Amino acid sequence: MNEPLYKLVYISRNEIKGDDATILHEIEQILASSRRKNPIANISGALMFNAGCFAQVLEGPHDDIQNSFERIQCDPRHSHVVVLSFEPTSRREFSNWSMAYLGADSTASAKFGGIMHESGFDAELLKADRIFDLLKEHLLEAE
Amino acid sequence: MSNEVTEIFGNCVQLSSIGFAVITEDGVVTCANSTFCEMLTISATEAIVGRSLVEHVALHFHSTIADLSQALKCPDAANIQLRLERDSEPLALQIASVDSGRRMLVAAKLPKSAESTSLNIFSHRDPLTGLGNRALLDEIIAVWQPRGSEASSLALIMVDLDRFKQVNDTLGHGAGDTLLKLVAKRIKSASRENDTVVRMGGDEFVVLHTIGLQPIGAESVAKRIIELMSRSFLIDGQQVNIGASVGIAALNFGTDNITDLLKHADLALYEAKAAGRGTFMFFEPALAMRAVERRNLEVDLRRALGLKEFILMYQPQVNMTDGALQGFEALIRWQNPARGFVSPSDFIPLAEEMGEIHAIGEWTLRTACKEAMSWDGNFSVAVNVSPIQFENGRIVDIVRNVLASTGLSPERLELEITEGVLMKNFDNALKQLWAIKSLGVGIAMDDFGTGYSSLSYLNSFPFSKIKIDQSFVRGENSPKSRALVQAIISLGENLEMKTIAEGVETKEQYDQLAAGGCLAAQGYLISRPIPTMAIADFISNLRNQATLKSDKNE
Repeated sequence: MNEPLYKLVYISRNEIKGDDATILHEIEQILASSRRKNPIANISGALMFNAGCFAQVLEGPHDDIQNSFERIQCDPRHSHVVVLSFEPTSRREFSNWSMAYLGADSTASAKFGGIMHESGFDAELLKADRIFDLLKEHLLEAE
Repeated sequence: MSNEVTEIFGNCVQLSSIGFAVITEDGVVTCANSTFCEMLTISATEAIVGRSLVEHVALHFHSTIADLSQALKCPDAANIQLRLERDSEPLALQIASVDSGRRMLVAAKLPKSAESTSLNIFSHRDPLTGLGNRALLDEIIAVWQPRGSEASSLALIMVDLDRFKQVNDTLGHGAGDTLLKLVAKRIKSASRENDTVVRMGGDEFVVLHTIGLQPIGAESVAKRIIELMSRSFLIDGQQVNIGASVGIAALNFGTDNITDLLKHADLALYEAKAAGRGTFMFFEPALAMRAVERRNLEVDLRRALGLKEFILMYQPQVNMTDGALQGFEALIRWQNPARGFVSPSDFIPLAEEMGEIHAIGEWTLRTACKEAMSWDGNFSVAVNVSPIQFENGRIVDIVRNVLASTGLSPERLELEITEGVLMKNFDNALKQLWAIKSLGVGIAMDDFGTGYSSLSYLNSFPFSKIKIDQSFVRGENSPKSRALVQAIISLGENLEMKTIAEGVETKEQYDQLAAGGCLAAQGYLISRPIPTMAIADFISNLRNQATLKSDKNE
């Protein structure tokens, strides 16, 4: 596939209301639907979340990112989407699509930890990106 | 054709899942297969044979029959779409001539999903977005019938994009088209399943919201649309941000007649935009009244020149070093028999919007120059020129022509412009200013200190004068205002531009400004604006005072 690749990084406010069980349920749904749709849409990347915030990195061909982003923008489970960067990139950094809970709350970390393992979230991949620290800060501030 | 073949054909037609019917020249059905009858909910073939098709449709359905009767009248083959009920699947009707006068009708159900793909067959689609278009909206409104509780649940939500033009201008029309497609999808996602979303043209969309309690339902859809439009789009590798303003009209909530919905939503949209964009407004009867008032004002304003309702008043400007009269600023007044005195701040913005400012501006310039010629003395005359007058590229010719026809010496004329002139199309405005200057006419920067007060504007052109806005002069006793006035005066000194303070009302203000080095002043302290016929008296009074003063001094 020789289509030029783009990388999108954004943060948004988590609007999922309810107890941890509800949130876990919704997050699992996001994981399931993302896993189903993203490979078809040529999208790879990672989604980090906690009770206050989502932070996402998406990579793929331009139009696929555009399509996914339109779906994301209309998703009521979050709001206040702020694009931090949208740029061409030479290669994919993520081979698949993964999710992780990222927060200081250790109880929540334990609860949502399963998602991280199950989705194969690899923080090392993100650490290479200078924007990761920024995302982490946003996540911790929003929690 | 042998009888056998005819019979086989006849059977095929009877069994076909496509509707067939033959009608006479007068539109009377002579035969129809059962599928055709089914499609038009006719109980049996016998019930329709011998009767008019158009009458049947008109009698049994809430649909418009205009397209159908038109197509049947016309001898040419035609393809039309017949939607029997608002929410029903449309029928594709093909009409062709069989022989002298008789027409054959072929009807097929058009699945809803196929509507958007059959763009060119029917005239109710917007080809770019796949949404319905204005014609579809008109038709739906025309056939809409209240049903039970739906009586109070029809709202028209009109959406207009903010900053769409900038996207088109900066990223190109291709990006603009992509944006419209994405916008269409987002609006669809914000509306309810049974709502009709149409693109009216340009960057204007309408959601006809039919389900749910009005006006609350419409309000939540509107809020959602505004929210979604404010979120970033990704187009051509770029992040694009726009916004939306929304006007809503709801049946039985200020709008009694369904045919007024569109007009009322449009008025509400106008208000939403005036309120600062990115917001929604509901129509209320007061808006219609305001629109009528505005329209009446427009009509009066267009007639005002012809009816000679404008006059010019002149406010004297004096030299602060010796108090000598320098000249006058021409100020327009509109005296309408019914309205009385209309303030320029009420009609100039409207005249600018209407384009009437071109005629009013030219009249002002011509009249001021003509009247200045009648004064006893070579006093200057300052005339205000609107930024709009620089837009059509005629201002230089107008000034040249007015000077030639009135015989006023160019040095006596000064045009007062605001920085608005330079904010729009800087290069073009600058070119015209230089051309006017080359005629020998002075250019003053008006209202300096309010607005952007960009120093680069002062740097870009050798203004003959900087006018210090009256808001600073009135605040002369506050240290901040004094500092600002002082800064403008020294700017003028260093840029070799004269400074004139306007709105000088007290002796203290006058003395303060004079001490600070301001060169000229105008305001009530010196004189209110006076009519041209009072100027001769004003000048001779001033001369007498000066003589008295010099007599005293001697």
